Amino acid sequence: MKFWNRFWFVVAVMFVCASVWPVYGQEGDTATETPALPSSVDMSLGAVNSEMAMPEGFRGQETEEGDLRWLEDVGILMAENSDLYNIDANAIAESASFEGPPNINWEIKKEDESGNLNTESSENTNVASNPCNITDPGYYQVHNGGARQVSSAGGAEDAVGGTDEEAGGEAGGSSTDTAGNTGDEGGAASGDAQTVTAQQRIGIQVYDCTAPDVWIAFQEGAGTVDMAASEEALKAQMVDRIIENLGKPFSTDAKDFEDASYIFIEEGKDDERNSIPWEKTARLSIAGTLFNERGAPKYESGKLSSIIDKKEYTNHVSVVGGEDKSVKGVYVRRNVPFIIAAVSTDNGNKRASAGEVEVKIVDANDQEVARDGDAYLFRVPNYPREEYKDQPDYFFTTQAADKDGNMTTIRMPLYIVNTQAAFEGGSNR
Amino acid sequence: MNKRSILVIVAIMVSLAGSVAVLAQDSATGKEGTPWLEGINMPPHPEDLSPVLPLKIYMENGEAIPATLTEDVPVTLVADTAIFDPEPPAEYNGTELPNAKWSRNAAVSWFFIDWEKNKNIPASSSVQMAVNQMIVTPINPTGRGAITCHIGRKMRYSDPVTGKNRGTFANASVGHDARVLDITPPTCGLEISVQGGRSGTFWVAENPPNKYPLPKMADVYFSGALINEADPAAILTVQGLELGSGMVVAPEQAAVHVPADAVLNIKVNGEDNYKLDTAKLKYGICKGAGGEPVPVSAINASEIALAELELPEKPYLYVDATDVSGNRQVLYVPLKIK
Repeated sequence: MKFWNRFWFVVAVMFVCASVWPVYGQEGDTATETPALPSSVDMSLGAVNSEMAMPEGFRGQETEEGDLRWLEDVGILMAENSDLYNIDANAIAESASFEGPPNINWEIKKEDESGNLNTESSENTNVASNPCNITDPGYYQVHNGGARQVSSAGGAEDAVGGTDEEAGGEAGGSSTDTAGNTGDEGGAASGDAQTVTAQQRIGIQVYDCTAPDVWIAFQEGAGTVDMAASEEALKAQMVDRIIENLGKPFSTDAKDFEDASYIFIEEGKDDERNSIPWEKTARLSIAGTLFNERGAPKYESGKLSSIIDKKEYTNHVSVVGGEDKSVKGVYVRRNVPFIIAAVSTDNGNKRASAGEVEVKIVDANDQEVARDGDAYLFRVPNYPREEYKDQPDYFFTTQAADKDGNMTTIRMPLYIVNTQAAFEGGSNR
Repeated sequence: MNKRSILVIVAIMVSLAGSVAVLAQDSATGKEGTPWLEGINMPPHPEDLSPVLPLKIYMENGEAIPATLTEDVPVTLVADTAIFDPEPPAEYNGTELPNAKWSRNAAVSWFFIDWEKNKNIPASSSVQMAVNQMIVTPINPTGRGAITCHIGRKMRYSDPVTGKNRGTFANASVGHDARVLDITPPTCGLEISVQGGRSGTFWVAENPPNKYPLPKMADVYFSGALINEADPAAILTVQGLELGSGMVVAPEQAAVHVPADAVLNIKVNGEDNYKLDTAKLKYGICKGAGGEPVPVSAINASEIALAELELPEKPYLYVDATDVSGNRQVLYVPLKIK
């Protein structure tokens, strides 16, 4: 019996020792010193679902070491981690403890032409992962900034130029006077808790997958329409408008197109823009009097599909007019001079600038038709085609491409209509 | 039972006890305590070298940032770190970084974190400033806040082993803890209703918001049948009152119209941009407007029978509110007895 009493006593003592040991081991490490907290710790940051990240040398371009290559409009999940996000603060400093959850901010900055990085978006999510969807091409940096209040009996490292308490007392007192308040004399803001921070960034080259927007204007020089003093004046007006309207038609009212007729090709309405590269569409809108043989004003708009290059992920929007197409062609009057102007804008710089695009009138053999002075002028009608079979086919063509190879092309029949028949009589003569 | 069996039992029990202790620790470090890491399977430290450099932030004049800031009062801050040096560090944590060069400009982000709400507000300035400077304006009072600054800069260096160029970010970040004083008086209003369901409400909104220097200004809004019987849904605005202890609405601007025999049901809408001192909140009917309110009805009564009062010639509804920082609002609205 004695033996068994002694045995169970030994067991009990060993059990207690074994239970206490790990805790004692922890305390033993920290009880003697309370080291100061670091002001910041490091952080890891990266893409989680990187299957849509592009390989090195994508589109034949070199990117900087360490940068990622993304396609615009493709959301990629980013994640980060840091010792700040642990359940306990032991990795920050011995005996330290967290005062609450971390503050986590996701920020996207875009590099401008001067190399400055400007904030595009800033989201305070307090979550360590974030779907990042960058909708315009360019060089970006995704930034994660983390912070957490950490307490340590050891206190914080001194701030430069004196202690917070000294400065806080003075400035706080001054503020109090100004505000007419009492009771705040500065000093430590929140006991011995200190905000410890972490941050990491990653560089991302985002590639353009959107075809440029193109506007084409036709302006006749007859009747009551006041023809632009020159083609340059028309272009200048279009440049202002295309930038102001981010590529979208400046009006949807047919009455606003009495001076000139327009073809608008652009990425579309707000909810149509920024589709993923392989589901991109474009919107074709025609406005004015030159899109039917009767000269009746109209405004029509419809969606076009876009064709993607499966290797380079560039998009090509192609508009082809014709008898069996939704847009049959452009109808101009014989003996009436007209000018054509085309401008283009691209999402590469958020449609902030516009460039001139060459537009040509060609025959069926792609031979360019020369202008008559400053304008085009056709003296012989070719429409209706069955009546003027001996007259050549005409087409107007234009092509706009961005520096990444996304392209918008148009080829549309140009019909020369017998003036009085089409615009005055309503029947051919 | 022989001695060997006893020893085996002892050994098992000891290891069991140890395991229980370790298991308790493990469960404490699980993801359930860190919901922000849900789905994250990434180490807390970068796999590749990424230098973390010291950063100090201070006032434009070189002094330390006060531990107490004042809401709506901007402070111009300066960030001081080697990230702005012409060359990156040549070594980090004992590792040489041969041929280290910056490859991009520094990117700088400033925030004000309200730890009481765990929300941050990014700082931005329309004023052209040096890249290491920022104007931070805390716009909400808080007892626990922090200004944080995060700076990163892309750099490249030759890998000491392979000789290949490597790209990484040098990072620097720091926080400065600060509380923010409340200097905005409360913006309280009242909701009055009488028999028959007719009611009138008036409320206060700071306008322009975050105005500094003082005084704060506010508009008072009125709505309801007791304000405008012909159009109860209309909102009448009395603009440009100084938000404070002398907010007097003139009778020609707006008034609450009630029958002489009405029993007023009064509800207070206590609003403050930080914390209202509810113990100091008073409302009711008073004599005259301006100065200290002279109540003629029971203070904070939710029901007032006008017939039981000795009403002055010019009665006013008043609401007298103070926030925990001592900012006071007293609003007087004419009460017209029909």
